[in-house]
Amino acid sequence: MKTKDLILIIEDDEAISRMLSLFLDQQGYKIIVAGDMKSAIRELQTQSPEIVLLDLGLPGGDGKTLIKSIRTQRSTPIIVLSARHEEKEIIASLELGADDYMTKPFSTYELLARIRSAQRRFMGLQPSSNILQCHELVMDTAQHTVAKNGEFLKLTPTEFGLLKYFMLHQNQVLTHIRLLKEVWGVGYQQEMQYLRTYINSLRKKIEHDSTRPAYILTELGVGYRFGCGDDFDSKE
Amino acid sequence: MTFLYPYRHYLVSFALLLIISIIGELFSGWLGLMNIALIYLLPVLVIALRGDRHATTVVTAISVIVFDLLYVPPRYSLDVHDLAYVWSFVIFFVVGYTITYQAKRIQANAIKEILLNTLSHDLKTPLSSIQGNTALLLREKNIDEHTQREVLIQISDSTHRMNRLIANLLDSARLKDNREILRKEWCDFEDLIGVAIQEFRHDRVMHRIDVEISPDMPLFWGDGGLLVRLFVNLLDNALKYSSPDKPICVVMTSMPTKTVILVCNDSEPIKKADLKNMFDKFYRLENTADIVGSGVGLSICKDIVIAHEGEIEAYNTDHGICVEVVLPAPKVPARTLREE
Repeated sequence: MKTKDLILIIEDDEAISRMLSLFLDQQGYKIIVAGDMKSAIRELQTQSPEIVLLDLGLPGGDGKTLIKSIRTQRSTPIIVLSARHEEKEIIASLELGADDYMTKPFSTYELLARIRSAQRRFMGLQPSSNILQCHELVMDTAQHTVAKNGEFLKLTPTEFGLLKYFMLHQNQVLTHIRLLKEVWGVGYQQEMQYLRTYINSLRKKIEHDSTRPAYILTELGVGYRFGCGDDFDSKE
Repeated sequence: MTFLYPYRHYLVSFALLLIISIIGELFSGWLGLMNIALIYLLPVLVIALRGDRHATTVVTAISVIVFDLLYVPPRYSLDVHDLAYVWSFVIFFVVGYTITYQAKRIQANAIKEILLNTLSHDLKTPLSSIQGNTALLLREKNIDEHTQREVLIQISDSTHRMNRLIANLLDSARLKDNREILRKEWCDFEDLIGVAIQEFRHDRVMHRIDVEISPDMPLFWGDGGLLVRLFVNLLDNALKYSSPDKPICVVMTSMPTKTVILVCNDSEPIKKADLKNMFDKFYRLENTADIVGSGVGLSICKDIVIAHEGEIEAYNTDHGICVEVVLPAPKVPARTLREE
């Protein structure tokens, strides 16, 4: 019998940690809760959880420091919970190695989707072939082609590079800076205008309705996410 | 006469000045210069209570000049022989500005109170729905599944409404604070309207929103978060006051020097005066007490548009109401790389 995956919830607000424990317990996870930085570090060392949910607004210690110290020792997926209007903090924690984020208030099912997707990535399900697929989109990286419903799409080299990076990092939040650095190259991190323009043109080619995108989702103030998989299809 | 209305406080002060000048003339021998000087402070007090520094300056200056002309020796000239009178004139201004400052503070508090009342009302409405519905679920054992679901949907709707209101409040506070903290970046309107539409995904109204964007829409230099809030509020408003099940149209057109954004719905026309006042704080149409929401949303829209040096107005169409937002094109257009 498979043992239950352990989730460490680092959250000082009891109402939220109780709600999360109740919900995630129902979903078949084992839960431990740490209310402050000190007990969080203790639980991390003694329990080695599979997933960490971290409230960024933790008192008595910066949540970002915790991310840094976790990352020096292990690569456990970390999902950051934060308040709205904290885009800078979110970006900083993603750069420090957090895997994903949710802004309060959030839907518990959306959180569950993020947990599952972070776990899958952690298991190392890297695509081994040249074929990347998401629903009706199929990319062949060797042939340099993209097809939607079997019909080939005409993409520019940059559009292709961008889509490839997205499809290699499905369901993952990708910050503006990371996308610019990985697709355009070092030195382009500040060229938001390029990113905006190419996201727009890429959406026109791959989305059914570019004002209601289903693939390239905007994470306001943070970056983009290539949504794929059942978890991300139905938002509540 | 209506054009005089904004200046009514000036008129009152000037009338008062005239009356006291006549009284002063009649009783000047009896009153003494000291008392006459005090009487001339009256128009200053009256105008200062408005809390408008500019108005206080104008009326105080005139009051001082009239007093000087009529009473300060040599009379009927602006000359002042005894420099002690200059000191009196300074006192006039000191009194005027002190009262103006206090009046301003009192007014600000009054506005805060109205804000607080409106907000607590608007927050309490969804909150009572949540309280009532959860109490129902907790107490009643035998609710059929359909009703139970209905109740839960109401709770969920209320939480989304509260969330939107709180988001508005936070953005409004950010705007009030200082214009400089706009977090400007290159924005794609299509991207932002997409995010705004996403906010309605829970409300089962998303399919009613039609969007049309010119294909050559350039990037805009603005605060993405606030622009999303602008679109969310405009859509929310258009949906709230729309005839049920009629579409909401969003049209974005780019022109050489500006971008025009239209959000139109299908509804009864509204009065001209209402169209103008719609964007003022706490303004709500008379006959819409039953529609959930507050006057805060549209006034925040106005603040956001002004912060981006744009204009916003509303007008009636043949079968509905349109809100038009005009935003100036960025002074330096975005660089784009073209590749084929």
